[in-house]
Amino acid sequence: MDIFLQQLANGLTIGSMFALIALGYTMVYGVMKLINFAHGDLVAASAFVGLFIFTNLFGSGTSIFIAIAVFLLTAVVIAICGVFLERVAYRPLRTAPRLSAVVSALGASMVIQNGIMLLWGPQLKIFPDLIPQVYWDLGGVVISLIQVLIMAFSLILMIALYIFIEKTKMGTAIRASSIDQDAARLMGINVNNIIVTIFVIGTSLGAVGGLFIGLYYKGITFNMGWQYGLNAFIAAIIGGIGNIPGAMLGGMLLGLFNAFIAGYVSSTWADAFTFTLLIVILIFRPTGILGERVAEKV
Amino acid sequence: MLRKKALFMSLLSFSLIAGTVNAEDVLKVGVQAPITGSYANEGQGIDNATRLMAEQINAKGGVLGQKIEVITCDDEGTAMKAAICAKDLVNKGVKMVIGSYTSTCAEAAQATYFRAGVLQTSDGTSDTLTEHGYWTFFRNSFPNSAEATFVAKYFLTEKKYQRIAILSDFSSYADGLATAVEKAVKNAGGNIVAREKIKAGSQNFTPILTRLKSKKPDVIFSAGYYSDGGLIRAQMKALGIKADFVGGDANDNPDFVKLAGTAAEGAYIINVPTPELLPYDLAKDFLKAYQTKYNMMPPSIWTLLNVDGMRAFVHAMETNKDLDTKKAADFLHTLKDFPGITGSISFAPDGNRVGSGYMAYQIQKDGSYKIMFK
Repeated sequence: MDIFLQQLANGLTIGSMFALIALGYTMVYGVMKLINFAHGDLVAASAFVGLFIFTNLFGSGTSIFIAIAVFLLTAVVIAICGVFLERVAYRPLRTAPRLSAVVSALGASMVIQNGIMLLWGPQLKIFPDLIPQVYWDLGGVVISLIQVLIMAFSLILMIALYIFIEKTKMGTAIRASSIDQDAARLMGINVNNIIVTIFVIGTSLGAVGGLFIGLYYKGITFNMGWQYGLNAFIAAIIGGIGNIPGAMLGGMLLGLFNAFIAGYVSSTWADAFTFTLLIVILIFRPTGILGERVAEKV
Repeated sequence: MLRKKALFMSLLSFSLIAGTVNAEDVLKVGVQAPITGSYANEGQGIDNATRLMAEQINAKGGVLGQKIEVITCDDEGTAMKAAICAKDLVNKGVKMVIGSYTSTCAEAAQATYFRAGVLQTSDGTSDTLTEHGYWTFFRNSFPNSAEATFVAKYFLTEKKYQRIAILSDFSSYADGLATAVEKAVKNAGGNIVAREKIKAGSQNFTPILTRLKSKKPDVIFSAGYYSDGGLIRAQMKALGIKADFVGGDANDNPDFVKLAGTAAEGAYIINVPTPELLPYDLAKDFLKAYQTKYNMMPPSIWTLLNVDGMRAFVHAMETNKDLDTKKAADFLHTLKDFPGITGSISFAPDGNRVGSGYMAYQIQKDGSYKIMFK
């Protein structure tokens, strides 16, 4: 039983990170019908930016204020990168065929990945212990402070996002733009602003996810964005791409699925099972678990 | 037909002349190493040390009057890039290749060097490296099977572990070492409770470690590389696994301690002596020169083992008074007790380095090593 609970804790931790990153994919897709392949690399970049900010502005020392400052500054830097990315790589192609935008996204992904390599080098970088290493043993199940923080903050951010999307005027505008951009424009919604907002929120959440990866696993490499991006992307599809609660659910499910497959079946086959799950879900529910079946616009 | 033959002959003679003219200029030495990627600091160490050794040899007038020119190719630690590097270095006309760091990369490049008659020396410890019968390949470290015998002895007679778990990734080296250790422990009557494989670089090892925890091992032997080993050690602590951690030789890297953080203390690592523990004058002089030139210590013993391979090659050519690689290989296959930086060098006819000097270290609180068993 304690093994089961331990795997549950492991799965929820990694699932929270997947969910945070998946939100970036799903929000951009919801409004722009575009898979932002560069998102995973922005996540990787955020880990490096966070490390840079920490070592250059704060040197050492681990207080809660420094941790908060690093998170905020990194989120701001990455959000600026996200807005810049949209302006340069996606906006000029908004009326172009959808494939052009996808190619542009793949290109942006390579530019960011190689940019990280040029700036910080190809070596493995080690993340400092920004958060103290504290462990609690709850009758055989060991949970660390960092795991609790990751789960708690991810949950808070996701609830805040949900309230923002469902209850505020801006959120209503975002939902309207995702249903029909032209109609939204006719109703006086500035769709360009909506898209910028989407990129700011999506990349900031991704930045938090990237910092969590750095804090939890400590070793960061310039090409790690691909691995996490792929998993988060699958999570977004499983939950129903374009659907915000779907991305949260998909991330958590994928994290748990990964942990249980690796823990009870074989870690060798974890990736194969992930893709099998994706295929099975797409066969039976092509729009994902929470995705709604929308009639194709003619 | 005749014209074709004549053309061919003239081309051949031309290329022969061109070859000799070139050969009189410089002796080209290739370095195939992971300059970038996860194992970058090891690869850069090999490159730095080879260049330093070339400088030292050139200062003494070179090899048979020829200056050494070092050509580096970055294999990124991947088999695909290693095969490309091999072709590239052969095309550039190298006589010998130092590297690569990983067995996988050394193995992917072996056949190309063999066909071109280029000498290759690698620290790769995978037993398969010397099983292909390539006369061009010389292992400058000791094979996995030698390490496995030591590990089995250490586990069963010194530590008396009752329940042993073994982890590895899928690389030729790690999988080979894990299999060798499994065999050696079983032959010595030890009890293996688990043998699991991880995906190198996947970072999240908690699911598999949780599963290992349920098997209650006394020790987890990690046969992979330091970039995973450090994380495995840290995540073991985080999961409250009380078992000892014993890392194979590829965990011997400063980044292991950084990745594991506070959890590094108490971890064991099996390897041949670390650079600073080498008692030989040759080693002390070379380390001093390395520190003066690069302002740091070599990342690990692998750097020095590779340089020793290069020194043996140069020694063979100088003794033969001939740069021919086949003659050098014939000489090396019977080489006995040539003084090296990492101890005396002898090769077996299959290209294996003879002997073994493994030790078990424990990492101390300040990150230094303490010898526990040898």
